[in-house]
Amino acid sequence: MKEPADKIMTAKEAIGRFVHDGDQLVIGNYTVGSCAELVYEVIRQGKKGLTLYSQSGIFDVEVLVGAGCVEKLVTTYVLRAGGKKGGSAVERALNAGTLQIEDYTNFDYNARLVAGMHGFSFMQVLEGVMATDLFRKRSFMGEDKFRLIKCPYTGKTIVTVPAANPDVCIVHVQRADKDGNAQYWGAMGSVAAAALASKRIIVSCEEIVEHDIIQSSPHLTIIPAYRVDAVIEIPWGAHPTEVLGYYNIDPFMYGLFMMSDATADGLKSWMDEWIYGCVNRAAYLDRYIGRFGSEILDGIRAKAFYSAPANYGSAFTTRWDREGRERFMGLTMAELEKTFQERGKLYE
Amino acid sequence: MSKPYTLQELLVIAVAKEIHDYENVILGVGLPTTAGALAKALYAPHATLMMESGIIDFKPLLPLNHIADAHSCRGFSYATDLFSAFTMTYRGFVDVCFLGVGQIDKYGNVNTTAIGDYYKPAMRLPGSGGAADFMSYAKRTVLTMLGGNFVNRLDYMTSPGYLEGGDSRERSGLFPKGSGPCMLLTTKGVFRFDDVTKEIYLSQIHPRVNVEDIKMEVPWDLKIAPDLSETPRPTDEEIEFIRNFAPAQSAGRELALELTVANMMRKAKVI
Repeated sequence: MKEPADKIMTAKEAIGRFVHDGDQLVIGNYTVGSCAELVYEVIRQGKKGLTLYSQSGIFDVEVLVGAGCVEKLVTTYVLRAGGKKGGSAVERALNAGTLQIEDYTNFDYNARLVAGMHGFSFMQVLEGVMATDLFRKRSFMGEDKFRLIKCPYTGKTIVTVPAANPDVCIVHVQRADKDGNAQYWGAMGSVAAAALASKRIIVSCEEIVEHDIIQSSPHLTIIPAYRVDAVIEIPWGAHPTEVLGYYNIDPFMYGLFMMSDATADGLKSWMDEWIYGCVNRAAYLDRYIGRFGSEILDGIRAKAFYSAPANYGSAFTTRWDREGRERFMGLTMAELEKTFQERGKLYE
Repeated sequence: MSKPYTLQELLVIAVAKEIHDYENVILGVGLPTTAGALAKALYAPHATLMMESGIIDFKPLLPLNHIADAHSCRGFSYATDLFSAFTMTYRGFVDVCFLGVGQIDKYGNVNTTAIGDYYKPAMRLPGSGGAADFMSYAKRTVLTMLGGNFVNRLDYMTSPGYLEGGDSRERSGLFPKGSGPCMLLTTKGVFRFDDVTKEIYLSQIHPRVNVEDIKMEVPWDLKIAPDLSETPRPTDEEIEFIRNFAPAQSAGRELALELTVANMMRKAKVI
């Protein structure tokens, strides 16, 4: 287990230490509550040559591709801004020849991480994909995008995908403790698989909580401490996307992004202001409130709707009953020790 | 005569009627979620609404922003993961799913990935997401095409319909018996698939549209149902539900966007 004291750090330190040029980087979040600040920090540090894994590319993939961090993209879904007349950083990069893409279905993509998470070398996927161009059209993975095998039990042809074990996962969750136990709830998607398949894990969270909170709600923990390399408390860390129980999507900022993303110049000026122009999330929030006030942010704060507590209690927490007798043997400690003595059990 | 309605309201209702009571339903964002909410409120109170993000058995209170939007409901019954949402579909537990269309061919095969060359696309569309696997294994698939095209040959085949038509889907051995698209909704009409040839044909036509308008958009000689009907007029109850639940859906994408951008600009100035 890594030394817990070392895990609390800033996004700058975490990305600097654990994300390297040429890495396979996976965005752990799926469609909702993306790890926006960690993504922005990857961009600010100018990481290059990444193979990016994203279950469902939203603005996070767009800015990473737009910033030139990504050489290869493994995904199932990409964003398009402005409908038919619009565009996207992914589309522009494909046409410029600076990006290669490997398209999977949601299940196939996730299956690669599930295989990786469990230490298997491949995973069976759903054979219907054989009838499609997802199976036929291949990019940088070539033959290894899908391979066919014969099921040893039924003799049927089975489609497989290779395991993925990305070098590093960046992921944003609701809360974690300082050791890295990361709790996430809501749309589970493929968040746990993305993190657990990865060699290194960087967790940002809305708040760092006491370990007691984690211990009384272990069903919410999706990444255990011993797998986590860095924990960063970043309130509003997913903005402009949403975090269940904390805030909704910010339609205003997301709208600004979508209006900018349709052209390369538009995206660049948006990124200049909101990514390169802000040294960290606190600076980003200052700029946001400075420009637009705090009214929008106040309007998207979540109102509480608490989960019913799960009772993790048991009948007792000691072997000794109220009269000081051991619950099975019925003896007090003194009586038990006397018995040990009488039976010749004690070594002097 | 019921109160005046918008075309978009008519479309939502046409789709919602494909959801039957007690069915397990995979919803997508936009029109299908509004349809799901409407069906649950008016026609299919025991339907189980699900999304591939693992949100299972939810009752939408707001239109969803995306398929992992737990902010649009107040809790839900079962929080599973994406992997299990698809294996559940593979095992036959999903009755009906809803998918959008970029291009569609005569036999209901669908492209949502790219227009033009896949590697250097004239237009990069979103991709498969869950579409290919859902269309493979849901018992029925309802397709909606609001901005796409009928084509003789897809630029990219993302999701399997009836392949080359006839019994080719079944013969492939890749899909459950009887599965496949059951309906296509466009802004002009409702299309279904011939039982034997699996060729798509026009089954219902929306008001203010004539058959020639539709035939012009289809590059082959489109077959028309002998009992072609007009899409039924919505009831007051249906119109009121949709307008309250998803006013932007009632307005339609273009008008809603125009009004939203105007509102944003006003806000940005005030702030």
